[in-house]
Amino acid sequence: MAKSYFGNIKDAITTIFEGLAVTASHLIRKPYTVQYPDRIPVRVQDTLPIRYRGILEVDLDICTGCLACERACPIDCIVIVVEKDKQTRQMLISQFDIDIAKCMYCGLCSEPCPTGSIHHTTEFEGADFSLESMIRRFVPEPIYAYKPAKGPETDPRIIPILNRGMRYVNEFAQPGSDKPAEKVA
Amino acid sequence: MSIRTEEMTLNMGPQHPSTHGVLRFVIKADGEVMREAIPDVGYLHRSIEKIAEKVGYHGFMPYTDRVDYVSAMFTNQGWAMACERLGGIVVPRRGEYCRVIAAEFNRIASHLLSVGTMGMDIGAMTPFTHAIREREMINDLIEELCGARLTFNYMRIGGVGWDLPPGWREKALAYLDHFDPIWEEYNALISYNKIYVERLANVGVISTQDAIDYNLVGPNLRGSGFKWDIRKDIPYSVYPEFDFDVPVGTGEFGTLGDAMDRYMVRIREMRESSKILRQALNRIPDGPVLAKVPRNFKPKAGECQVRVESSRGDMGWYAVSDGSAYPWRVHVRTGSFAAMGMINKLSRGLMIADLVTLIASLDVIAPEIDR
Repeated sequence: MAKSYFGNIKDAITTIFEGLAVTASHLIRKPYTVQYPDRIPVRVQDTLPIRYRGILEVDLDICTGCLACERACPIDCIVIVVEKDKQTRQMLISQFDIDIAKCMYCGLCSEPCPTGSIHHTTEFEGADFSLESMIRRFVPEPIYAYKPAKGPETDPRIIPILNRGMRYVNEFAQPGSDKPAEKVA
Repeated sequence: MSIRTEEMTLNMGPQHPSTHGVLRFVIKADGEVMREAIPDVGYLHRSIEKIAEKVGYHGFMPYTDRVDYVSAMFTNQGWAMACERLGGIVVPRRGEYCRVIAAEFNRIASHLLSVGTMGMDIGAMTPFTHAIREREMINDLIEELCGARLTFNYMRIGGVGWDLPPGWREKALAYLDHFDPIWEEYNALISYNKIYVERLANVGVISTQDAIDYNLVGPNLRGSGFKWDIRKDIPYSVYPEFDFDVPVGTGEFGTLGDAMDRYMVRIREMRESSKILRQALNRIPDGPVLAKVPRNFKPKAGECQVRVESSRGDMGWYAVSDGSAYPWRVHVRTGSFAAMGMINKLSRGLMIADLVTLIASLDVIAPEIDR
């Protein structure tokens, strides 16, 4: 009885020191913790991968008004109003609202977007004082929807935005093919 | 002279730090010994099964993340497999490999959290920080793969949403090289600590027959010495192509089926997952990762039941389709719920301080109990 009693004490002390040796070996290591937000040379947002699903953003310059994102959203946090302008026969987007308070950052809306107009940014600091201000309204005044040009894009203002959008779209898996979709422009 | 004592009713939870979420126990105690602990579940019930009937097959995928937020890859996979069986969709081989890689990384992360909180629940703070550090690196890898750290929404009906990014495979292999020695270090830090072993051994003993009778699954069942793993016994995905063992409890520190056995099964399963990951990352074939599935996915009327081996054990997904774009009924069968049914029996005669050990060793996750 006494032997096992003291044996237990001996075991406890030796195993505790084995554990403490591991802890001690970590004392001289570089810390793993990254101090947030201002103790690293770059912003945290810039260190995140391209696929990171942060707060949604819309590039209205390349939005085709196809409503694919609105249909894909499982919680209906996207509201788009598109109507046809009778005079010019072009699609007119008069409302594009995303309720960031409702959004669950699933990425199902940016997947079917043909141009990469709606996309997740690496921004994640979305705290605000009222629910109303969490609704991002992207259309200040009605604008014409983007119409893809036949052949390569010619508008020099659109090209960089479209390139960025297509780079985002190409990250998603393309059904049935192992090749990424063809690059636009 | 005898002192008159009476039974005391204690309330533990729902906001208790060691109940792994919003769980409540009504404890009837005689001094420090429990007469029984009655689990009270339902605080995290969010009608996930009903939501499926409203959002359709594709739209339900992000909700499955919320069924078990610690191992969301398996819930993703379960739902994707259920839809694929309903619709008769064949997943490309590279897609299956991507699924296995993501899921096994998730299993390691989930077990790390489990063994880390196990130490913290009984008073050892340092192992938790070590486990969380390793989990953080896995989270970084998964973040690069699918853009989220916890609610992955990685899998799609017919494959996965994103292919492996360039250079990710090498990073993952480098992480595994880093992880294998860490496993030994973690064991030296806490697993063989005498005080730790004394706290866990002979606590909450589940006999093999009891484990089967009470429908326990996963590491809880294997901890009682019964070798049952869906990956081996009812193979799905590409698991038959990998060479791995199923660790079972041995009773090396005390009785077979005690808390220490369940803990050691999780520790050993991480090593097995690392083995599967190495094989999968080295053998991953080229090809597409996503099959062609219509956006308006309408499977034929019928029903199906699929089973996946989640980190908390056999997870069953039952779906009934009536031919429309919305499932008629979805049901999820999870391992944590079965484990909660066992707590009342196990708690009789246990010390109050050992209840947290018992809960932690069963590795219950509150949202998975209630869904």
